[in-house]
Amino acid sequence: MANRTLPRLLQAPAVLMLLMWMLVPLGMTLFFSFIRYVLNSLRRPEWTTPSIENWRGLGNYKYVLEAKDFWFAIQNSVFIVVSILIFTVVFGLLIAVLVNRSFPGRGIVRVLLISPFFVMPAVNAVLWINMILDPVLGLNGLAVAGINDLVVGLREFPLIGQFFSMWPELKPMSFRASQTSAYAVIMMVTWQWTPFAVLIFMTSLQSEDESQKEAAMLDGASAWSQFINLTVPHLARPIAIVVMIQSIFHLSLYAEIEIVSRGNGNKNLPYLIGEFTSNNIGAASATGIFAVILANIIAIFLLRMVGKSLMD
Amino acid sequence: MAAVAQTTPLSRVLWPTLAWIIALIFFFPIFWLVFTSFKTDADAVKPEHLLFFTPTLENYANMTENYDYWRFAINSVITSTFATGFALVVGVPAAYAMAFDPSRHTKDILVWMLSTKMLPAAAVLYPMTFLTKNMLGLFDTHFLIIVVLCLINLPIVIWMLFTYFKEIPKDIIEAGKMDGVSTWGEIKDILIPLAWGGIASTALLTFIFCWNEAYWTVRLTTIDAATLSKLIEGNRAPEGLFFGRLSAVSTAAVGPIVVLGWFCQKQLVQGLTFGAVK
Repeated sequence: MANRTLPRLLQAPAVLMLLMWMLVPLGMTLFFSFIRYVLNSLRRPEWTTPSIENWRGLGNYKYVLEAKDFWFAIQNSVFIVVSILIFTVVFGLLIAVLVNRSFPGRGIVRVLLISPFFVMPAVNAVLWINMILDPVLGLNGLAVAGINDLVVGLREFPLIGQFFSMWPELKPMSFRASQTSAYAVIMMVTWQWTPFAVLIFMTSLQSEDESQKEAAMLDGASAWSQFINLTVPHLARPIAIVVMIQSIFHLSLYAEIEIVSRGNGNKNLPYLIGEFTSNNIGAASATGIFAVILANIIAIFLLRMVGKSLMD
Repeated sequence: MAAVAQTTPLSRVLWPTLAWIIALIFFFPIFWLVFTSFKTDADAVKPEHLLFFTPTLENYANMTENYDYWRFAINSVITSTFATGFALVVGVPAAYAMAFDPSRHTKDILVWMLSTKMLPAAAVLYPMTFLTKNMLGLFDTHFLIIVVLCLINLPIVIWMLFTYFKEIPKDIIEAGKMDGVSTWGEIKDILIPLAWGGIASTALLTFIFCWNEAYWTVRLTTIDAATLSKLIEGNRAPEGLFFGRLSAVSTAAVGPIVVLGWFCQKQLVQGLTFGAVK
């Protein structure tokens, strides 16, 4: 028994700190979710102080469940996270395999590729939505305008002019509508996190068994079948880790949503909580508890998947 | 795949070219950000000045004069450094105990720690503001930001360190025990030198996450402890017409961390495994 004391003592600070971090604010959130608590109310000023006398029971939960935004926010959260996961894993795999061999300037290619991962999410969002995707001032708008000008110019030519006069004038896509701004978020987060997937996959590829590959090659296996039959299975574990770490980060995606969407209806669960927090703390807290439950369901599922192999 | 590709001359050119193109596409937005930061606000939105313009440092001058850039930058350095250091001080002993003295519950503890990272920050924003502002009086202090940054990164730190430590043969640590080395001595003289690469990668990644954190640093500060995320937050609102200014502020905010990342990329390429390599 005595020899267990020391390891426990060494873990104690970390465990206690995280326990407090989880329990204290979460306990308060739980309490607020059962009472009527708003920041401003002229009609019912007594609701502006958190007190047990304003007990509302499950009223806040009922209110949130009936809010139409709630189910949309959950769907949208899942849509955004899963899309990002698919894109980053696929692009990450392809790029990692591509840069896994030596070629002139590989070091520079690697530096360029991983750079987006260091960019602040807020800067990422500001940069993409304004300077790249804006339909008028951004490169998106300028590129489409350029193509239109080109087509108009080509119409002047004999023969091919006929052909180009049938081309429609293109309109740049706006990424500020509720659906398209979800695409914008997926795009910018994929840009930022693909390098992370590349980093992890690259490290794993370096440990791949080359002799197996050579044997496969001698047997006449194509590059593609080697990739599918040898490389992808070898990367199963890193893929699981990339999926897990990213889920952890993207479930609480906030800055990107806030900057890109700005009240156009593209919201995820954290953003919905943020909206409620501007006045209705009770509803915000109830939504928060739902978000915690959702996160835990996903956590159990994902962490079991990775955790199983973690200990062997 | 590598071996096959190298057999034909075409693919010897094709694949590296493709890699270069993809790398340039990925880097382009960062290049564009820096590029735009040298344009005036007026030039930045004029198509005729898209590529050709008279470069100016006006935006940077404006930023240091009117926005007090250096105070935000120093706050970022202070909070990120201390939070990273603090997380390692708490994380190394914990990961050491978990890796070399695991109990039945070690896996559950690790999984639980990671699950705390999944809790949406927004869910506890109001209680945190309430606590730090009304009850503890810690709102907008370096101490608070350091503690929060440390706490939100601690699960990742412990997990990464755990996966590195597990690769170290247990015998080496046991041998130290036999020789009567103290626990502190084991950590300091055996573990840290052996796992140095892993610890450095962990520190680096944690520092990056701290520097880029933009939820708590924005919402739990006003002036005193405000970091570069807060500077971005304050400058992003007037969208559209101020691309030049916005780019300069953004470049100055991400520049230090991107350059740090470049210098340490070897460390990251070799070290960022999260236990993925067996």
